[in-house]
Amino acid sequence: MNGFSNYLHTLWQVFRKDLQVEWRGRQGLPVMLVFALLVVFLFNFALQLTPALQAGLASGLLWVALAFASTLGLNRSVSLERENNALDGLLLTPADRSAIFFGKTLSNLTFTTLVALVLLPVFSLFYQQNMLNPRLLLVVLLGLGAYTSLGTLLAALSIQTRTRDVLLPVLLYPLALPVLIAAVEATRGILGGQAWGELQSWILLLVACNILFLAAGLLLFDTILEE
Amino acid sequence: MPKKQPLLTLLNILSAVFVIGALILILFFTPEEAQMGAVQKVFYFHVASAWAGMLSFVIAAVGGVLYLVKREMRWDWLSLASIEVGLVFGLAAILSGMIWAHPIWNTWWVWEPRLTTTAIMELIYLAYFILRGALNTPEAKARLGAVFAIVSVITVPLTFFSIRLYRTIHPVVFVSGDSAAFTMSPRMWNAFIASLVAFNVLLAALIWNRTRLAALQTHNELEENLP
Repeated sequence: MNGFSNYLHTLWQVFRKDLQVEWRGRQGLPVMLVFALLVVFLFNFALQLTPALQAGLASGLLWVALAFASTLGLNRSVSLERENNALDGLLLTPADRSAIFFGKTLSNLTFTTLVALVLLPVFSLFYQQNMLNPRLLLVVLLGLGAYTSLGTLLAALSIQTRTRDVLLPVLLYPLALPVLIAAVEATRGILGGQAWGELQSWILLLVACNILFLAAGLLLFDTILEE
Repeated sequence: MPKKQPLLTLLNILSAVFVIGALILILFFTPEEAQMGAVQKVFYFHVASAWAGMLSFVIAAVGGVLYLVKREMRWDWLSLASIEVGLVFGLAAILSGMIWAHPIWNTWWVWEPRLTTTAIMELIYLAYFILRGALNTPEAKARLGAVFAIVSVITVPLTFFSIRLYRTIHPVVFVSGDSAAFTMSPRMWNAFIASLVAFNVLLAALIWNRTRLAALQTHNELEENLP
């Protein structure tokens, strides 16, 4: 096997392992899902949403719910490796560490996308907007891709602190702000029936975030995990 | 005990002379702006501190890269010093901006790109200190601090760009009031350039002193631990 297919193999195995652990334990995804739904309900009452307000705020609420729920998944994904020193085992293998990063990002993206796939119909129902739109799905994938790649990087960082997973939101939210702004605006545009061309800058910004954060993971993940 | 370099003493004196010099220029040798009056004079130190803050965060990221490449503690001290000094300059920029905005915009705060980005930047670098505080060894503080400083520098321009994009799409309530809104007379330019030079020298002096302090602290801790 040459180097690159070896790399992809490692990536795939990390991804598969995460999915398998989740499938057998079912401890991360249900929590994320219920939490996201709770956020939707909390905001409804906290903001006293009237039908007129709902239309304007739906895109923002969707992303706040996704961002909060993702944080739980991201923490879970690294704390899983801390338990029983699974991380040490992973690091003892000759596997390329950035491959571990990409595998973990991919599994995190899968979980958060699944949450989004449940949230979109729920939002369509509760906020009287059709959110089942292929273009919106693309924005969700791009937004969550950037969010989880940055999140996986920072979760690996925060798990090494004394405070463990408590730290992640403080590190992640301010840094993820451009992703959230672009995702919310692109979503708002799509729901408002704007043409694809008008949303171009937001989509490009999301693509740029994806590339930059994946590159940061590729270059820095090795450094984060060395002990 | 590391000796204090004569060049540092010179820099300290120079920064005091330059800041006082710039202040004299601003107070006595610039005309009062026709519409805004005396409060416009905040502008000189306001822009200079915003610049110094921004520059110091870039220096911190450069220090982070150098630490990761060379693994010498002095680059971490530089990084830490720059962020600490940068936080103070950022806060000075925000507060001086508020003093100006209150009479001119009739409000203390506007969600304008530069203001918002500066505020987010303060939050990001506050998180840097929380991160360091939650780590146990100087090595981990340096390594993960460097990673965080580098990732932060990537996201800050993205944040600025996304908020500006957001503002250009949304109706502009306030026309931004810095250099674009009024034309500067030659004497105003002189004071402005003098402030910029003074704050750059002050920044260099502060970072150097703070780096030296970190070196002394480490030196002391090592001495205390000797049998």
